[in-house]
Amino acid sequence: MPHVVTENCTGCRFTDCVTVCPVSCFHGDDDRVYIDPVACIDCGACVPLCPVAAISEDLNLTDDRLEWIEINADKASALPVVREKQAPFPGAEARRASVAGRA
Amino acid sequence: MNPEKTTVKGACPQDCPDTCAFIYTVENGRLIDVQGDPKHPVTQGRLCTKLNDFAKHHYNPDRLIYPMKRVGPKGAGEFERISWAEALGEIRNRWARIIDEFGSKAIMPCSYLGQEGVLNGLTVGDAFFNRLGSTIAEKTFCGVGREVGTHLTIGPSTGVDPESLIHSRYIVLWAVNTLSTGNHHWPFIAEAKRRGAKIVAIDPLRSRTATQADWHIPIRPGTDAALALGMMNIIISEGLFDRDYVERYTVGFDELAARAAEYPVELVSAITGIPEQDILTLSREYATQAPAVIRLGVAIERSRNGGQASRAINCLPALVGAWRHVGGGYLGLTLSAFAMKWDAMCRPDWIKEDPRVLNLNNLGKVLLETSDPPIKSLMVYNHNPLVQSPDQERIKKGLLREDLFLVVSDLFVTDTAKYADIILPATMQAEQTDLMFSWGHFYWTYNNKAIESPGEAVPNTQLFRLLAETMGFNEPEWRRTDEEMIRDFIDWESPMMQGISFEALQQNGYMRTAVGDKDARAPHAEGNFPTPSGKCEFKSSLAEQGDFVPSPFRAGYEAMQDGSYIDPLPTYIPPFESRDSAPQIAAKYPLNIISPKAHGFLNSQYANEIKQRKRQGDPILIIHPEDARPRGIGNGDTVKVFNDRGAFIGAAILSTDTIRGVVASYLGHWGTDSRAKSAVNSISSDRAANMGRAPTFSDNLVEVAKVDSEAIEALSMGARRAAIAEHA
Ligand code: SF4
Ligand code: SF4
Repeated sequence: MPHVVTENCTGCRFTDCVTVCPVSCFHGDDDRVYIDPVACIDCGACVPLCPVAAISEDLNLTDDRLEWIEINADKASALPVVREKQAPFPGAEARRASVAGRA
Repeated sequence: MNPEKTTVKGACPQDCPDTCAFIYTVENGRLIDVQGDPKHPVTQGRLCTKLNDFAKHHYNPDRLIYPMKRVGPKGAGEFERISWAEALGEIRNRWARIIDEFGSKAIMPCSYLGQEGVLNGLTVGDAFFNRLGSTIAEKTFCGVGREVGTHLTIGPSTGVDPESLIHSRYIVLWAVNTLSTGNHHWPFIAEAKRRGAKIVAIDPLRSRTATQADWHIPIRPGTDAALALGMMNIIISEGLFDRDYVERYTVGFDELAARAAEYPVELVSAITGIPEQDILTLSREYATQAPAVIRLGVAIERSRNGGQASRAINCLPALVGAWRHVGGGYLGLTLSAFAMKWDAMCRPDWIKEDPRVLNLNNLGKVLLETSDPPIKSLMVYNHNPLVQSPDQERIKKGLLREDLFLVVSDLFVTDTAKYADIILPATMQAEQTDLMFSWGHFYWTYNNKAIESPGEAVPNTQLFRLLAETMGFNEPEWRRTDEEMIRDFIDWESPMMQGISFEALQQNGYMRTAVGDKDARAPHAEGNFPTPSGKCEFKSSLAEQGDFVPSPFRAGYEAMQDGSYIDPLPTYIPPFESRDSAPQIAAKYPLNIISPKAHGFLNSQYANEIKQRKRQGDPILIIHPEDARPRGIGNGDTVKVFNDRGAFIGAAILSTDTIRGVVASYLGHWGTDSRAKSAVNSISSDRAANMGRAPTFSDNLVEVAKVDSEAIEALSMGARRAAIAEHA
């Protein structure tokens, strides 16, 4: 039972998270990233680095978001590792601002 | 409203090699967050799953914040709040009476590293108890056997810098689960891997670390020395050793070669359970892929031959000349980079004439069998022996003795504290000052006090000041502040302290000892081993003095050592308990058990936090499907694990993560939480390994049987009844 990346990642891709992960847990496609639950050691380092609060510890997920556990496991096993920071998507900054506004 | 938010630099207090640098965030006097300091070169801003909720841990409603006295029967856990004055008065009266009647040796401290730190850690009570004249407690729970093995071979070397691991090409993680018990080495290992290094894990269990390694070599518990000797035999006979290095910087090569020749690969394979081809490949790769480094874990020592296993492994780097290179050699304990004045901390000069030394790994025996004088009072701090120590059932019996006066200082009512007569409340790290050494990297870390302590909790330093006053000790040492003590405890003139001052430490939070540049450092490229000969001693000259425990682990006391025979050459002797070495025990209890550290707990700490318990789950027993099948055990079944010493309950996990004949259960769960009221160490023997009086947690045979819930109730009732009957 690991950390998971949830809906907010899509369309953002700040990927500060991938640079801090000690075990290279993050796998991704063109849209977003997922965490490999086997490798994740629950160190929590990625959580504060996500500007749009997309990463959550599984134990902190609300019931309606539990599906992300399985999605992360499935996607991560099928996608390549992402270790380097990617260029954020256009519009990501606006999302960051809106999430910060809500917080 | 504009709340005042400040940050304060701190350090993790736990018995973990990483000693992470903290940043505490405090708002209106309340600790609201603890994060890693992102600037720290090794810990890099990350903590771990144990400490991520550390701010909340300070406010756990179960915290002990007032002194308490027992009001119910022993062990019932019924307490009532009292004042510090009453608590100290009671301690004074009881101890004075005991000293009158039995002498001061009838009192004994019982502590370890529930809290690290120059002030509040390993040695915090030593000066007090030496002054009191108590029995000296030898504290050899963790690492001392491995260290004596290292000491006899390469001396108290600082070893390889973990930051230099990025230069390694071949990394052997031996008896260590880095990702669970010291994860901050991993980024350096991972970087080495990206640069082309091969990562090998040698472990009976496919741990998280073994899963991430390039190659996992499962090995039978307690047979590592045979593997190391077998590797040396192959390396020597195939001419893969570094002849020039061996000639210049080692002693005893011919004798070592003769000893290693007794371990041909077929024999080693039969002993260790590792296929011959794997042993050959490992030996050849290790000898030829430079720089090669061995990171050796504490688990190496936890069998009868533990000390010699460490000895044998410590010979390997010199044999292949690994020390010539940056990132080559051996990484064990980094402690000797930290210039502490152990004698100023422990005050062995205060020890009274004719002292007595007893080893805490035998606590059950100590409480039940010691005479002349018997132990009439035990003071436990920084420690929860009922979970951490072997031979749990006998410790329980000892703690139930009506005539034993038990004082416990802790953060929570632990399994052990339940038995106390007097409980004293201790502070948590953000509420106290300390300076932390590390045993896994080269940085001092300063812990600034960030918040006030809750209720009437006191730091350990203050606890012993109060006790000293209570017992009428008048020396000026008892009136020092924490800062003055730190100044007295560090050898500021040591070359390792170059460029480091007290003020700078306080301000920067962490500072690197002067061990040299991580990208150029090869401490034994030209020998310079801190041994009597200055060389790597394949044949150990220090072995002659017999077995010993370094003085910091026995209140600074040097004399009255165990002294039992140590073979000057690395050797293999089989475990006390295995199918081959103890067929009679094995007929009844055919499975070897190991009890590795849990990912979610730090020893028994954090095992009382709801979140950690959710993550770690209930106690489990990992068992190979082929061992489970004949016992009718299915995945998830409740099983009883038992031998003549005790029993515990767990959920069976059928998995090939373990090898046939070996079961595993994680350490840390509190017995009081379990339906059987016991934990894994109920089955552990209190026998010592062959060096440093190390415990033998991986050298125990058990049987496993499926149980239904009624049987569990009966077991738990039976255990309680038996204990009550014994002392009624
Ligand atoms: S919690 Fe740690 S290990 Fe898990 S994905 Fe985040 S950074 Fe990686
Ligand atoms: S327990 Fe170890 S890894 Fe976790 S925060 Fe403390 S020092 Fe760091």
